[in-house]
Amino acid sequence: MITIRDIRKSFDERPVLRGVNIDVRDRETLVVLGRSGGGKSVMLKMIVGLLKPDSGSINVDGNDVLSMTYPKLRELRFKFGFLFQGAALFDSLTVGDNVALALRRGRATHELELTEGEIAERVTFALEVVGLKNTEAVMPSNLSGGMKKRVGLARAIVPSPRYMLYDEPTTGLDMETADEINVLINDLRTKLGVTSIVVTHDIHSAFVVGDRFAILNDGRTLMTGTRAEIENSTDEDVRKYISSSLSTSRTRLT
Amino acid sequence: MDLAAPAARAPRLHGPLFFEVIGRVTISFLEHLGMYFGLIWWMVGNIRNARESSKNFFSQMVQIGNDSIPIVIFVSTFVGMVTAVQSAYQLYSWIPRSVVGGLVIKSVLLELTPLLTALVLAGKVGATITAEIGSMRVTEQVDALEAMGFDSVSFLITPRILAGIVMFPVLVVFGDLLAVLGGLFGAVIVAHIPAGAFIAGMKSSFVTRDAVFGLTKATIFGYTITSIASYQGYYVVGGSAGVGKATMSTVVYTCLAVVILDFILASTLL
Ligand SMILES: Nc1ncnc2c1ncn2[C@@H]1O[C@H](COP(=O)(O)OP(=O)(O)OP(=O)(O)O)[C@@H](O)[C@H]1O
Ligand SMILES: [Mg+2]
Repeated sequence: MITIRDIRKSFDERPVLRGVNIDVRDRETLVVLGRSGGGKSVMLKMIVGLLKPDSGSINVDGNDVLSMTYPKLRELRFKFGFLFQGAALFDSLTVGDNVALALRRGRATHELELTEGEIAERVTFALEVVGLKNTEAVMPSNLSGGMKKRVGLARAIVPSPRYMLYDEPTTGLDMETADEINVLINDLRTKLGVTSIVVTHDIHSAFVVGDRFAILNDGRTLMTGTRAEIENSTDEDVRKYISSSLSTSRTRLT
Repeated sequence: MDLAAPAARAPRLHGPLFFEVIGRVTISFLEHLGMYFGLIWWMVGNIRNARESSKNFFSQMVQIGNDSIPIVIFVSTFVGMVTAVQSAYQLYSWIPRSVVGGLVIKSVLLELTPLLTALVLAGKVGATITAEIGSMRVTEQVDALEAMGFDSVSFLITPRILAGIVMFPVLVVFGDLLAVLGGLFGAVIVAHIPAGAFIAGMKSSFVTRDAVFGLTKATIFGYTITSIASYQGYYVVGGSAGVGKATMSTVVYTCLAVVILDFILASTLL
Protein backbone atom coordinates (compact mmCIF):
# COMPACT_ATOMS: atom_id res chain seq x y z
CA MET A 1 0.00 0.00 0.00
CA ILE A 2 1.48 3.30 -1.10
CA THR A 3 -0.19 6.54 -0.12
CA ILE A 4 0.88 9.87 -1.52
CA ARG A 5 -0.70 12.94 0.02
CA ASP A 6 -0.55 16.49 -1.26
CA ILE A 7 3.01 16.34 -2.54
CA ARG A 8 4.49 19.66 -3.63
CA LYS A 9 7.87 20.31 -5.19
CA SER A 10 9.55 23.28 -6.83
CA PHE A 11 12.92 23.41 -8.54
CA ASP A 12 14.50 26.87 -8.36
CA GLU A 13 11.17 28.50 -7.49
CA ARG A 14 9.52 26.77 -10.47
CA PRO A 15 6.69 24.59 -9.19
CA VAL A 16 6.64 21.11 -10.75
CA LEU A 17 4.29 19.25 -8.41
CA ARG A 18 1.49 21.27 -6.83
CA GLY A 19 -0.56 18.81 -4.84
CA VAL A 20 -0.38 15.20 -5.99
CA ASN A 21 -2.56 12.59 -4.29
CA ILE A 22 -2.26 8.94 -5.23
CA ASP A 23 -3.18 5.66 -3.54
CA VAL A 24 -1.79 2.38 -4.76
CA ARG A 25 -3.50 -0.68 -3.34
CA ASP A 26 -1.72 -3.94 -2.73
CA ARG A 27 -1.34 -6.15 -5.78
CA GLU A 28 -2.63 -3.64 -8.26
CA THR A 29 -0.97 -1.84 -11.13
CA LEU A 30 -1.56 1.88 -11.08
CA VAL A 31 -0.71 3.77 -14.23
CA VAL A 32 0.33 7.41 -14.02
CA LEU A 33 -0.39 9.38 -17.16
CA GLY A 34 0.72 12.91 -17.83
CA ARG A 35 2.46 15.32 -20.12
CA SER A 36 6.18 15.37 -20.66
CA GLY A 37 7.89 17.46 -18.01
CA GLY A 38 4.91 17.08 -15.71
CA GLY A 39 6.95 15.67 -12.85
CA LYS A 40 6.14 11.97 -13.17
CA SER A 41 9.75 10.85 -12.83
CA VAL A 42 10.21 13.24 -9.92
CA MET A 43 7.22 11.68 -8.19
CA LEU A 44 8.53 8.13 -8.64
CA LYS A 45 11.89 9.09 -7.18
CA MET A 46 10.18 10.58 -4.16
CA ILE A 47 8.52 7.28 -3.31
CA VAL A 48 11.90 5.68 -2.57
CA GLY A 49 13.36 8.83 -1.05
CA LEU A 50 15.70 9.80 -3.89
CA LEU A 51 14.16 13.28 -3.88
CA LYS A 52 12.42 15.06 -1.03
CA PRO A 53 9.16 16.91 -1.61
CA ASP A 54 8.85 20.43 -0.21
CA SER A 55 5.71 19.36 1.61
CA GLY A 56 3.23 16.51 1.76
CA SER A 57 3.57 12.93 2.90
CA ILE A 58 4.46 9.55 1.41
CA ASN A 59 3.57 6.35 3.13
CA VAL A 60 4.61 2.81 2.25
CA ASP A 61 3.09 -0.07 4.22
CA GLY A 62 2.24 2.34 7.01
CA ASN A 63 5.77 3.78 7.23
CA ASP A 64 6.37 7.46 6.62
CA VAL A 65 9.09 7.58 3.96
CA LEU A 66 10.03 11.21 4.60
CA SER A 67 10.89 10.78 8.27
CA MET A 68 12.79 7.50 7.91
CA THR A 69 16.38 7.15 9.09
CA TYR A 70 18.83 6.22 6.36
CA PRO A 71 19.22 2.56 7.39
CA LYS A 72 15.42 2.16 7.40
CA LEU A 73 15.21 3.84 4.03
CA ARG A 74 17.73 1.38 2.62
CA GLU A 75 15.68 -1.52 3.92
CA LEU A 76 12.61 -0.03 2.32
CA ARG A 77 14.37 0.44 -1.01
CA PHE A 78 15.27 -3.20 -1.02
CA LYS A 79 11.56 -4.01 -1.38
CA PHE A 80 11.40 -1.92 -4.54
CA GLY A 81 12.45 -2.56 -8.10
CA PHE A 82 13.01 0.67 -10.01
CA LEU A 83 13.16 0.84 -13.78
CA PHE A 84 14.67 4.22 -14.66
CA GLN A 85 13.49 6.15 -17.68
CA GLY A 86 16.99 6.09 -19.20
CA ALA A 87 17.71 2.58 -17.83
CA ALA A 88 20.65 3.98 -15.78
CA LEU A 89 22.85 0.94 -16.33
CA PHE A 90 26.28 1.03 -14.69
CA ASP A 91 28.48 1.51 -17.70
CA SER A 92 31.61 0.16 -16.04
CA LEU A 93 29.93 -3.22 -15.45
CA THR A 94 28.85 -5.92 -17.88
CA VAL A 95 25.17 -6.64 -18.39
CA GLY A 96 25.49 -9.70 -16.15
CA ASP A 97 27.16 -7.75 -13.35
CA ASN A 98 24.58 -4.98 -13.64
CA VAL A 99 21.82 -7.46 -12.95
CA ALA A 100 23.85 -9.34 -10.33
CA LEU A 101 24.63 -6.19 -8.36
CA ALA A 102 21.08 -6.02 -7.05
CA LEU A 103 21.55 -9.50 -5.59
CA ARG A 104 25.05 -8.85 -4.28
CA ARG A 105 23.80 -5.91 -2.24
CA GLY A 106 21.33 -8.27 -0.60
CA ARG A 107 24.09 -10.72 0.19
CA ALA A 108 26.40 -8.10 1.65
CA THR A 109 23.82 -7.13 4.25
CA HIS A 110 22.62 -10.71 4.78
CA GLU A 111 19.12 -9.91 3.64
CA LEU A 112 19.45 -12.39 0.84
CA GLU A 113 21.99 -15.17 1.14
CA LEU A 114 22.96 -16.46 -2.27
CA THR A 115 26.01 -18.29 -3.58
CA GLU A 116 27.77 -17.08 -6.74
CA GLY A 117 26.19 -20.01 -8.58
CA GLU A 118 22.69 -19.08 -7.48
CA ILE A 119 23.30 -15.46 -8.43
CA ALA A 120 24.44 -16.49 -11.90
CA GLU A 121 21.37 -18.68 -12.28
CA ARG A 122 18.98 -15.92 -11.31
CA VAL A 123 20.75 -13.42 -13.56
CA THR A 124 20.49 -15.80 -16.52
CA PHE A 125 16.83 -16.34 -15.77
CA ALA A 126 16.03 -12.63 -15.44
CA LEU A 127 17.79 -11.86 -18.72
CA GLU A 128 15.88 -14.65 -20.43
CA VAL A 129 12.60 -13.25 -19.14
CA VAL A 130 13.29 -9.89 -20.80
CA GLY A 131 14.36 -11.61 -24.02
CA LEU A 132 18.11 -11.05 -23.75
CA LYS A 133 19.53 -14.52 -23.46
CA ASN A 134 23.34 -14.85 -23.46
CA THR A 135 24.11 -11.18 -23.12
CA GLU A 136 25.82 -11.44 -19.71
CA ALA A 137 29.26 -10.50 -20.99
CA VAL A 138 28.18 -7.54 -23.16
CA MET A 139 29.02 -4.00 -22.01
CA PRO A 140 26.00 -1.66 -21.79
CA SER A 141 27.59 0.81 -24.22
CA ASN A 142 27.21 -1.82 -26.94
CA LEU A 143 23.45 -2.16 -26.48
CA SER A 144 20.64 -0.37 -28.25
CA GLY A 145 18.32 1.90 -26.26
CA GLY A 146 15.56 -0.71 -26.14
CA MET A 147 17.97 -3.43 -25.02
CA LYS A 148 19.31 -1.18 -22.25
CA LYS A 149 15.77 -0.66 -21.06
CA ARG A 150 15.23 -4.40 -20.90
CA VAL A 151 18.48 -4.96 -18.98
CA GLY A 152 17.28 -2.25 -16.59
CA LEU A 153 14.05 -4.19 -16.24
CA ALA A 154 15.92 -7.45 -15.56
CA ARG A 155 17.99 -5.65 -12.93
CA ALA A 156 14.86 -4.29 -11.28
CA ILE A 157 12.98 -7.58 -11.09
CA VAL A 158 15.85 -9.94 -10.23
CA PRO A 159 15.67 -9.57 -6.41
CA SER A 160 11.90 -10.34 -6.55
CA PRO A 161 10.75 -6.99 -5.16
CA ARG A 162 7.30 -6.48 -3.66
CA TYR A 163 6.91 -3.17 -5.41
CA MET A 164 7.86 -2.18 -8.93
CA LEU A 165 8.23 1.37 -10.19
CA TYR A 166 8.35 1.52 -13.97
CA ASP A 167 9.35 4.80 -15.61
CA GLU A 168 8.26 4.55 -19.24
CA PRO A 169 8.80 0.79 -19.61
CA THR A 170 7.74 0.62 -23.26
CA THR A 171 8.85 3.96 -24.66
CA GLY A 172 11.27 3.53 -27.52
CA LEU A 173 10.49 -0.15 -27.99
CA ASP A 174 8.98 -1.75 -31.07
CA MET A 175 5.40 -2.94 -30.69
CA GLU A 176 6.20 -6.61 -30.25
CA THR A 177 8.80 -6.00 -27.56
CA ALA A 178 6.47 -3.53 -25.90
CA ASP A 179 3.79 -6.19 -25.82
CA GLU A 180 6.20 -8.67 -24.27
CA ILE A 181 7.08 -6.16 -21.58
CA ASN A 182 3.40 -5.54 -20.92
CA VAL A 183 2.84 -9.27 -20.55
CA LEU A 184 5.75 -9.39 -18.12
CA ILE A 185 4.30 -6.56 -16.05
CA ASN A 186 0.97 -8.36 -15.90
CA ASP A 187 2.64 -11.67 -15.02
CA LEU A 188 4.49 -10.09 -12.11
CA ARG A 189 1.20 -8.91 -10.72
CA THR A 190 -0.89 -12.03 -11.28
CA LYS A 191 1.77 -14.65 -10.48
CA LEU A 192 3.86 -12.92 -7.84
CA GLY A 193 1.43 -10.35 -6.49
CA VAL A 194 3.71 -7.42 -7.16
CA THR A 195 2.30 -3.94 -6.57
CA SER A 196 3.29 -1.57 -9.35
CA ILE A 197 3.29 2.01 -10.50
CA VAL A 198 3.75 2.45 -14.22
CA VAL A 199 4.53 5.87 -15.63
CA THR A 200 3.85 6.07 -19.33
CA HIS A 201 2.86 8.18 -22.31
CA ASP A 202 1.70 5.14 -24.21
CA ILE A 203 -2.02 4.99 -23.56
CA HIS A 204 -2.46 1.63 -25.26
CA SER A 205 0.11 -0.03 -23.03
CA ALA A 206 -1.47 1.79 -20.12
CA PHE A 207 -4.81 0.14 -20.78
CA VAL A 208 -3.16 -3.28 -21.18
CA VAL A 209 -1.36 -3.23 -17.81
CA GLY A 210 -3.35 -0.82 -15.65
CA ASP A 211 -5.98 -1.64 -13.06
CA ARG A 212 -6.43 1.98 -12.21
CA PHE A 213 -5.16 5.22 -13.67
CA ALA A 214 -4.06 8.57 -12.33
CA ILE A 215 -3.78 11.57 -14.61
CA LEU A 216 -1.26 14.25 -13.66
CA ASN A 217 -1.96 17.63 -15.12
CA ASP A 218 -0.39 20.93 -14.26
CA GLY A 219 1.29 19.41 -11.22
CA ARG A 220 -1.93 18.03 -9.75
CA THR A 221 -3.79 14.72 -9.90
CA LEU A 222 -6.56 15.56 -12.25
CA MET A 223 -8.36 12.27 -11.72
CA THR A 224 -7.89 8.73 -10.42
CA GLY A 225 -10.04 5.81 -11.48
CA THR A 226 -10.57 2.68 -13.55
CA ARG A 227 -10.49 2.69 -17.33
CA ALA A 228 -14.27 2.94 -17.51
CA GLU A 229 -14.37 5.80 -15.03
CA ILE A 230 -11.75 7.70 -16.98
CA GLU A 231 -13.28 7.09 -20.37
CA ASN A 232 -16.75 8.06 -19.15
CA SER A 233 -15.55 11.07 -17.23
CA THR A 234 -17.48 14.24 -17.89
CA ASP A 235 -14.60 16.41 -16.72
CA GLU A 236 -13.57 18.66 -19.57
CA ASP A 237 -9.81 18.36 -18.88
CA VAL A 238 -9.90 14.57 -18.58
CA ARG A 239 -11.79 14.22 -21.86
CA LYS A 240 -9.35 16.52 -23.58
CA TYR A 241 -6.38 14.60 -22.20
CA ILE A 242 -7.71 11.19 -23.21
CA SER A 243 -8.75 12.20 -26.70
CA SER A 244 -5.44 13.91 -27.44
CA SER A 245 -3.46 10.95 -26.10
CA LEU A 246 -5.45 8.50 -28.18
CA SER A 247 -5.09 10.51 -31.34
CA THR A 248 -1.37 11.17 -31.00
CA SER A 249 -0.37 7.68 -29.95
CA ARG A 250 0.23 4.88 -32.39
CA THR A 251 -2.70 3.35 -34.21
CA ARG A 252 -2.96 -0.38 -34.22
CA LEU A 253 -5.32 -3.22 -34.98
CA THR A 254 -6.76 -4.87 -31.96
CA MET B 1 6.30 49.27 -13.15
CA ASP B 2 8.38 46.53 -14.69
CA LEU B 3 9.85 48.66 -17.45
CA ALA B 4 11.05 51.30 -15.04
CA ALA B 5 12.64 48.84 -12.71
CA PRO B 6 15.99 48.30 -14.46
CA ALA B 7 16.56 52.03 -14.74
CA ALA B 8 15.70 52.54 -11.11
CA ARG B 9 18.09 49.80 -10.10
CA ALA B 10 20.94 50.86 -12.34
CA PRO B 11 22.62 53.49 -10.13
CA ARG B 12 22.89 51.03 -7.27
CA LEU B 13 25.25 48.90 -9.31
CA HIS B 14 28.15 51.35 -9.23
CA GLY B 15 28.83 51.63 -5.55
CA PRO B 16 28.21 48.26 -3.97
CA LEU B 17 29.02 46.13 -7.04
CA PHE B 18 32.52 45.27 -5.83
CA PHE B 19 31.27 44.25 -2.39
CA GLU B 20 28.35 42.42 -3.93
CA VAL B 21 30.68 40.29 -6.01
CA ILE B 22 33.00 39.65 -3.08
CA GLY B 23 30.01 38.80 -0.93
CA ARG B 24 28.53 36.42 -3.46
CA VAL B 25 31.83 34.65 -4.03
CA THR B 26 32.36 34.27 -0.28
CA ILE B 27 28.87 32.90 0.26
CA SER B 28 29.19 30.42 -2.58
CA PHE B 29 32.61 29.34 -1.30
CA LEU B 30 31.22 28.81 2.20
CA GLU B 31 28.27 26.90 0.77
CA HIS B 32 30.62 24.58 -1.10
CA LEU B 33 32.77 24.17 1.98
CA GLY B 34 29.70 23.27 4.02
CA MET B 35 28.53 20.73 1.47
CA TYR B 36 32.02 19.28 1.15
CA PHE B 37 32.36 18.74 4.89
CA GLY B 38 28.80 17.43 5.01
CA LEU B 39 29.79 14.78 2.49
CA ILE B 40 32.95 13.85 4.40
CA TRP B 41 31.00 13.77 7.65
CA TRP B 42 28.49 11.40 6.07
CA MET B 43 31.28 9.23 4.73
CA VAL B 44 32.96 8.90 8.12
CA GLY B 45 29.67 8.34 9.93
CA ASN B 46 28.65 5.59 7.53
CA ILE B 47 32.07 4.06 7.07
CA ARG B 48 30.69 0.64 7.94
CA ASN B 49 28.57 0.65 4.78
CA ALA B 50 31.81 0.70 2.82
CA ARG B 51 32.32 -2.97 3.65
CA GLU B 52 29.86 -3.66 0.86
CA SER B 53 32.29 -2.12 -1.58
CA SER B 54 35.68 -3.50 -0.51
CA LYS B 55 36.09 -4.79 -4.07
CA ASN B 56 35.86 -1.23 -5.31
CA PHE B 57 38.67 -0.22 -2.96
CA PHE B 58 41.10 -2.68 -4.53
CA SER B 59 40.05 -1.88 -8.07
CA GLN B 60 40.48 1.83 -7.32
CA MET B 61 44.00 1.25 -5.99
CA VAL B 62 44.87 -0.65 -9.14
CA GLN B 63 43.33 2.07 -11.27
CA ILE B 64 45.25 4.86 -9.53
CA GLY B 65 48.45 2.85 -9.91
CA ASN B 66 47.89 2.08 -13.57
CA ASP B 67 46.89 5.64 -14.34
CA SER B 68 49.85 7.19 -12.58
CA ILE B 69 52.92 4.99 -12.77
CA PRO B 70 54.09 5.99 -16.26
CA ILE B 71 53.78 9.69 -15.57
CA VAL B 72 55.32 9.37 -12.10
CA ILE B 73 58.30 7.52 -13.60
CA PHE B 74 58.75 10.20 -16.19
CA VAL B 75 58.31 13.24 -13.98
CA SER B 76 60.37 11.95 -11.02
CA THR B 77 63.33 10.89 -13.10
CA PHE B 78 63.51 14.21 -14.86
CA VAL B 79 62.99 16.21 -11.70
CA GLY B 80 65.91 14.34 -10.11
CA MET B 81 68.15 15.00 -13.08
CA VAL B 82 67.25 18.67 -13.30
CA THR B 83 67.77 19.21 -9.58
CA ALA B 84 71.23 17.68 -9.75
CA VAL B 85 72.27 19.63 -12.81
CA GLN B 86 70.95 22.95 -11.54
CA SER B 87 72.39 22.52 -8.06
CA ALA B 88 75.79 21.81 -9.57
CA TYR B 89 75.48 24.89 -11.77
CA GLN B 90 74.49 27.16 -8.87
CA LEU B 91 77.35 26.15 -6.57
CA TYR B 92 80.54 28.21 -6.25
CA SER B 93 83.50 26.31 -7.56
CA TRP B 94 85.16 26.03 -4.12
CA ILE B 95 82.19 24.16 -2.58
CA PRO B 96 82.76 20.38 -2.65
CA ARG B 97 80.71 18.68 -5.35
CA SER B 98 79.39 16.10 -2.93
CA VAL B 99 77.04 18.80 -1.64
CA VAL B 100 74.96 18.24 -4.77
CA GLY B 101 73.98 14.79 -3.48
CA GLY B 102 72.77 16.35 -0.25
CA LEU B 103 70.79 19.04 -2.06
CA VAL B 104 69.13 16.52 -4.31
CA ILE B 105 68.02 14.16 -1.56
CA LYS B 106 66.74 16.98 0.66
CA SER B 107 64.71 18.72 -1.97
CA VAL B 108 63.44 15.52 -3.54
CA LEU B 109 62.21 13.95 -0.30
CA LEU B 110 60.85 17.09 1.31
CA GLU B 111 59.31 18.91 -1.54
CA LEU B 112 59.76 17.96 -5.14
CA THR B 113 58.42 14.43 -5.40
CA PRO B 114 55.41 14.89 -3.10
CA LEU B 115 54.43 18.22 -4.65
CA LEU B 116 54.99 17.37 -8.29
CA THR B 117 53.39 13.94 -7.96
CA ALA B 118 50.38 15.60 -6.36
CA LEU B 119 50.13 18.30 -9.02
CA VAL B 120 50.43 15.81 -11.84
CA LEU B 121 47.94 13.42 -10.25
CA ALA B 122 45.55 16.26 -9.46
CA GLY B 123 45.08 16.42 -13.19
CA LYS B 124 45.09 12.74 -13.90
CA VAL B 125 43.53 10.98 -10.91
CA GLY B 126 41.37 13.91 -9.83
CA ALA B 127 39.93 14.57 -13.26
CA THR B 128 39.20 10.88 -13.77
CA ILE B 129 37.31 10.63 -10.48
CA THR B 130 35.19 13.71 -11.17
CA ALA B 131 34.40 12.57 -14.69
CA GLU B 132 33.46 9.06 -13.56
CA ILE B 133 31.27 9.99 -10.62
CA GLY B 134 29.86 13.02 -12.45
CA SER B 135 28.75 11.05 -15.46
CA MET B 136 27.18 8.48 -13.17
CA ARG B 137 25.29 11.31 -11.53
CA VAL B 138 23.93 12.82 -14.73
CA THR B 139 22.89 9.46 -16.18
CA GLU B 140 21.05 8.57 -12.95
CA GLN B 141 23.44 5.74 -12.09
CA VAL B 142 23.91 7.28 -8.66
CA ASP B 143 20.13 7.26 -8.20
CA ALA B 144 20.04 3.68 -9.43
CA LEU B 145 22.64 2.64 -6.83
CA GLU B 146 20.64 4.29 -4.08
CA ALA B 147 17.39 2.81 -5.35
CA MET B 148 18.96 -0.65 -5.17
CA GLY B 149 19.72 -0.02 -1.52
CA PHE B 150 23.40 0.86 -1.79
CA ASP B 151 24.84 3.80 0.08
CA SER B 152 26.20 5.64 -2.96
CA VAL B 153 28.73 7.63 -0.95
CA SER B 154 30.19 4.51 0.64
CA PHE B 155 30.06 2.71 -2.66
CA LEU B 156 31.62 5.35 -4.89
CA ILE B 157 33.49 7.86 -2.77
CA THR B 158 34.91 6.02 0.25
CA PRO B 159 36.87 3.48 -1.84
CA ARG B 160 38.31 6.24 -4.00
CA ILE B 161 39.46 8.36 -1.07
CA LEU B 162 40.92 5.39 0.81
CA ALA B 163 42.70 4.25 -2.34
CA GLY B 164 44.13 7.75 -2.72
CA ILE B 165 45.33 7.81 0.87
CA VAL B 166 47.07 4.46 0.42
CA MET B 167 48.39 4.87 -3.10
CA PHE B 168 49.81 8.41 -2.99
CA PRO B 169 52.54 7.60 -0.45
CA VAL B 170 53.35 4.42 -2.38
CA LEU B 171 53.72 6.42 -5.56
CA VAL B 172 55.84 9.00 -3.75
CA VAL B 173 58.22 6.35 -2.39
CA PHE B 174 58.52 5.05 -5.90
CA GLY B 175 59.02 8.58 -7.22
CA ASP B 176 61.66 9.33 -4.54
CA LEU B 177 63.71 6.34 -5.66
CA LEU B 178 63.51 7.31 -9.29
CA ALA B 179 64.30 10.94 -8.56
CA VAL B 180 67.43 9.92 -6.66
CA LEU B 181 68.50 7.70 -9.54
CA GLY B 182 67.74 10.52 -11.96
CA GLY B 183 69.80 12.84 -9.77
CA LEU B 184 72.72 10.44 -9.81
CA PHE B 185 72.50 10.17 -13.57
CA GLY B 186 72.34 13.95 -14.03
CA ALA B 187 75.20 14.51 -11.62
CA VAL B 188 77.50 11.96 -13.20
CA ILE B 189 76.73 12.39 -16.89
CA VAL B 190 75.96 16.10 -17.17
CA ALA B 191 77.70 17.75 -14.20
CA HIS B 192 80.66 15.35 -14.16
CA ILE B 193 80.50 14.72 -10.43
CA PRO B 194 81.98 11.37 -9.38
CA ALA B 195 79.24 8.93 -8.39
CA GLY B 196 81.03 8.20 -5.10
CA ALA B 197 80.98 11.86 -4.08
CA PHE B 198 77.32 12.27 -4.98
CA ILE B 199 76.32 9.20 -2.98
CA ALA B 200 78.46 10.22 -0.02
CA GLY B 201 76.79 13.62 -0.03
CA MET B 202 73.36 12.01 -0.12
CA LYS B 203 74.17 9.70 2.76
CA SER B 204 75.47 12.45 5.00
CA SER B 205 72.38 14.64 4.43
CA PHE B 206 69.71 11.98 4.67
CA VAL B 207 67.48 12.15 7.74
CA THR B 208 64.49 9.86 8.22
CA ARG B 209 62.40 12.79 9.32
CA ASP B 210 62.50 14.28 5.81
CA ALA B 211 61.22 11.07 4.30
CA VAL B 212 58.45 10.82 6.90
CA PHE B 213 57.48 14.44 6.30
CA GLY B 214 57.33 13.81 2.55
CA LEU B 215 55.15 10.76 2.99
CA THR B 216 52.84 12.56 5.42
CA LYS B 217 52.38 15.23 2.78
CA ALA B 218 51.70 12.57 0.17
CA THR B 219 48.99 11.03 2.36
CA ILE B 220 47.34 14.40 2.94
CA PHE B 221 47.55 15.30 -0.75
CA GLY B 222 46.09 11.90 -1.63
CA TYR B 223 43.12 12.58 0.60
CA THR B 224 42.72 16.16 -0.62
CA ILE B 225 42.77 15.36 -4.31
CA THR B 226 40.45 12.36 -4.19
CA SER B 227 37.98 14.01 -1.81
CA ILE B 228 37.69 17.27 -3.76
CA ALA B 229 37.38 15.33 -7.00
CA SER B 230 34.69 13.07 -5.55
CA TYR B 231 32.76 16.03 -4.19
CA GLN B 232 32.87 17.77 -7.56
CA GLY B 233 31.59 14.68 -9.32
CA TYR B 234 28.93 13.77 -6.78
CA TYR B 235 27.23 17.16 -6.95
CA VAL B 236 27.45 17.73 -10.68
CA VAL B 237 24.51 19.52 -12.26
CA GLY B 238 23.78 20.34 -15.87
CA GLY B 239 24.30 17.16 -17.88
CA SER B 240 27.48 16.27 -19.67
CA ALA B 241 28.43 19.93 -20.08
CA GLY B 242 28.28 20.12 -16.31
CA VAL B 243 30.59 17.12 -16.02
CA GLY B 244 33.12 18.84 -18.26
CA LYS B 245 32.98 22.01 -16.20
CA ALA B 246 33.27 20.14 -12.91
CA THR B 247 36.28 18.22 -14.22
CA MET B 248 38.00 21.48 -15.10
CA SER B 249 37.23 22.93 -11.67
CA THR B 250 38.61 19.81 -10.03
CA VAL B 251 41.97 20.33 -11.67
CA VAL B 252 42.03 23.99 -10.62
CA TYR B 253 40.78 23.49 -7.05
CA THR B 254 42.93 20.45 -6.29
CA CYS B 255 46.07 22.23 -7.53
CA LEU B 256 45.25 25.29 -5.44
CA ALA B 257 44.49 23.19 -2.39
CA VAL B 258 47.71 21.23 -2.81
CA VAL B 259 50.01 24.26 -2.99
CA ILE B 260 48.23 26.01 -0.13
CA LEU B 261 48.42 22.90 2.05
CA ASP B 262 52.03 22.44 1.06
CA PHE B 263 52.82 25.85 2.47
CA ILE B 264 50.76 25.31 5.62
CA LEU B 265 52.35 21.93 6.29
CA ALA B 266 55.86 23.24 5.73
CA SER B 267 55.21 26.15 8.08
CA THR B 268 53.69 24.04 10.84
CA LEU B 269 55.44 20.68 10.71
CA LEU B 270 59.01 21.51 9.75
N1 LIG C 1 17.01 17.16 -9.91
C1 LIG C 1 16.35 18.15 -10.56
N2 LIG C 1 16.78 19.41 -10.46
C2 LIG C 1 16.13 20.41 -11.08
N3 LIG C 1 15.04 20.24 -11.85
C3 LIG C 1 14.58 19.00 -12.02
C4 LIG C 1 15.21 17.88 -11.38
N4 LIG C 1 14.53 16.76 -11.70
C5 LIG C 1 13.52 17.17 -12.51
N5 LIG C 1 13.54 18.50 -12.70
C6 LIG C 1 12.57 19.27 -13.49
O1 LIG C 1 11.28 18.89 -13.11
C7 LIG C 1 10.42 18.84 -14.22
C8 LIG C 1 9.71 17.51 -14.25
O2 LIG C 1 10.62 16.52 -14.60
P1 LIG C 1 10.25 14.99 -14.76
O3 LIG C 1 11.46 14.33 -15.28
O4 LIG C 1 9.68 14.47 -13.50
O5 LIG C 1 9.12 15.01 -15.86
P2 LIG C 1 8.35 13.78 -16.47
O6 LIG C 1 6.91 13.95 -16.16
O7 LIG C 1 8.99 12.52 -16.04
O8 LIG C 1 8.57 14.03 -18.01
P3 LIG C 1 8.88 12.97 -19.16
O9 LIG C 1 7.58 12.35 -19.48
O10 LIG C 1 9.41 13.79 -20.28
O11 LIG C 1 9.87 12.01 -18.61
C9 LIG C 1 11.27 19.11 -15.44
O12 LIG C 1 11.05 20.44 -15.85
C10 LIG C 1 12.68 18.96 -14.95
O13 LIG C 1 13.52 19.88 -15.59
MG1 LIG D 1 10.13 11.16 -16.85
